[in-house]
Amino acid sequence: MGSRDGRPLVAAANDRAMEAGVEAGMTRRSAEALCPSALVLARDPAAETIRFEPILNAIEDLIPRVEVVEPGWVFVPTDGAARYYGGERALVDRVAATLERLAPGAHLGVANGPFAAYWAARSGRPTLIVKDEKAFLSGLDISALETEELVATFRWLGVTTLGELAALPRHAVASRFGTRGLEAHRLAGGEDRRVLPRRIPDDLTVETIFEEPLLLIEQAGFMARRLAGILMALLDRHRVAPYQVEVEAEAADGVVRSRVWRSAEPFDTRALAERVWWQLRAWTETGGITDGLVRLKLSPTALSDEGYQPGLFEQREIRIETERALERTRTILGPDSVLRTRPQGGRDPADRVQWARWGEDFAEPTRSLASPWPGKVPAPSPSLVPPRPRRLEVEWDAEVPTRVRLSTRWEPVLAWAGPWRRLGKWWAEEEPSALYQIVTSAGAMLCRTTGGRTFVVGVYD
Amino acid sequence: MAASILTAAPDGSPAPADATGLPVYPGRVIGLEGSTGSGLTRIGLSMLSAIPASCRVVVDVRGWLCPLAAWEVGIDPDHLTVVRCGDASQWSRVLAVLLDGVKAIYAEVPRGVGEALLRRLVAKARARNATVILRPLAGRVPSGMAFLRLRSVRVEWEGGREGHGSLGRRTLMVELSGKGAAGRYQVVEMEDDGARPVRVVSRLVTSQVGRSVG
Repeated sequence: MGSRDGRPLVAAANDRAMEAGVEAGMTRRSAEALCPSALVLARDPAAETIRFEPILNAIEDLIPRVEVVEPGWVFVPTDGAARYYGGERALVDRVAATLERLAPGAHLGVANGPFAAYWAARSGRPTLIVKDEKAFLSGLDISALETEELVATFRWLGVTTLGELAALPRHAVASRFGTRGLEAHRLAGGEDRRVLPRRIPDDLTVETIFEEPLLLIEQAGFMARRLAGILMALLDRHRVAPYQVEVEAEAADGVVRSRVWRSAEPFDTRALAERVWWQLRAWTETGGITDGLVRLKLSPTALSDEGYQPGLFEQREIRIETERALERTRTILGPDSVLRTRPQGGRDPADRVQWARWGEDFAEPTRSLASPWPGKVPAPSPSLVPPRPRRLEVEWDAEVPTRVRLSTRWEPVLAWAGPWRRLGKWWAEEEPSALYQIVTSAGAMLCRTTGGRTFVVGVYD
Repeated sequence: MAASILTAAPDGSPAPADATGLPVYPGRVIGLEGSTGSGLTRIGLSMLSAIPASCRVVVDVRGWLCPLAAWEVGIDPDHLTVVRCGDASQWSRVLAVLLDGVKAIYAEVPRGVGEALLRRLVAKARARNATVILRPLAGRVPSGMAFLRLRSVRVEWEGGREGHGSLGRRTLMVELSGKGAAGRYQVVEMEDDGARPVRVVSRLVTSQVGRSVG
């Protein structure tokens, strides 16, 4: 019995329960109604990992570097292995024959990306090799996206297959459904999520060597959590998130074991620590590691710089809740009111911010952040910048501001700095101007003078 | 003090919870009171940066917010979302929706938002364990609502002299009250150097002694 959104759901059932009508994914209440005599057991991923270990070892004997998603679900890179065994069909036959001995009824699917391969394996046929990924995906029901809320909305809009979703204009999907919609559209069109294997600097690998071999699994679990935390902090500093992590352990007798774990979403600390713990337990209990653990190493093998690193105590559900809240806000206020920002080059505070609608990509930057931008107004920056400059009455004495008018009263200038002169785009008939920082008893302002008039362009609030 | 966005921009790690030296706790509401120019936006953004959350939302009623200031106090651009809500009639609805999924909100409060409505939103923030920093554009945060209330007393700038240099550092005198100030009025001196979160540098003895209602 597993759970989703806090609801207990059937994860697996034995033959007798299945005969009574129990199915995976069914709620506990429904299952018990169909089969009242059934014994309900809590799901134990570590135990599943232990049971799955021999199957993984068998696959690894044929194809190295198996990527485990969860016990019972693996991805295997087939490019090299298909060449070695003389084609995809030969490879699949070999793997199927091996699995038949250890896990009768296992399903295999071959495709270019993990999403299509997953659905090929779940197609109901024992082995399915997808040649035309786009055509295969287009025939799948929209529920293949496995995001309940999104699927319900697509159905309500009359989009019932992935093919129909892929036929929609991407910008329209992005505008209406945000990041999640965009991701769904990519998957539906056969563009699988971008896992960008790239050269990983050595210093992104974390390793611990134990002077005394760790004999207790609890000790190993503690070290797994600690090492996962160190790795995630390191990756966070490099602003990357791991989709795939290789766990390597060395036993006191010199045996080295390694396994790659993969996740559809970037790992967070807790998820990674769990995987490492499951793996260590599986190795220890199946005899993969004997005589204690002397070394543990975690190497991120697929990173994404678009990865997401949740805060220390955050759950992945919070991210979904946040996206939902922002989507609803956008529905209320319109797409131009929910915005993301990023720095860009420029002289004035307003120029140095690039805006994008939430859920949409930023436009190509036109102002390089690396350029020197001479005459840039130094930090601190004004916290408030009016969308249109506001007129300000200033009394000048030989280019020195002496008083400013704030609503009905005149306030003396306590301090001022500048000017930062701008020639203006003379070719566009823009007048020269100068920027001043002016301090009064009511606070500080950034002002622009042009053509004998002064405007407030920023407030240091 | 010279600082640039590049040096001040966050490296992905959130500011420590005590970066400002003020109590910023989940499920608490903080009220900022004072006129524009008194440094409260920057204080509010500094407190927002101290909240451990992956998404921080600023509800910008006037459409004036400059994200440069948010980045300078340590908010990661990737974790900042600006919601522009100039329509006072929609404001409470927007905040209620945001409270369903966002744990760190800095919200300007437009004129005309009733006390009863604010109390309902504050109750929702407590229930959702979200930290909300309210900055009324007119008036005050009604009493008994905010865990901590900050009122700007004075601002002193350094760096700008008769046309030389540029504004660099400022000292803000802020009056604290409410439960977050141990139920007493306190006056604190805060420093804003333009490159880090605004933080408390000293707590002064206040002439006004007694219990306050926050």
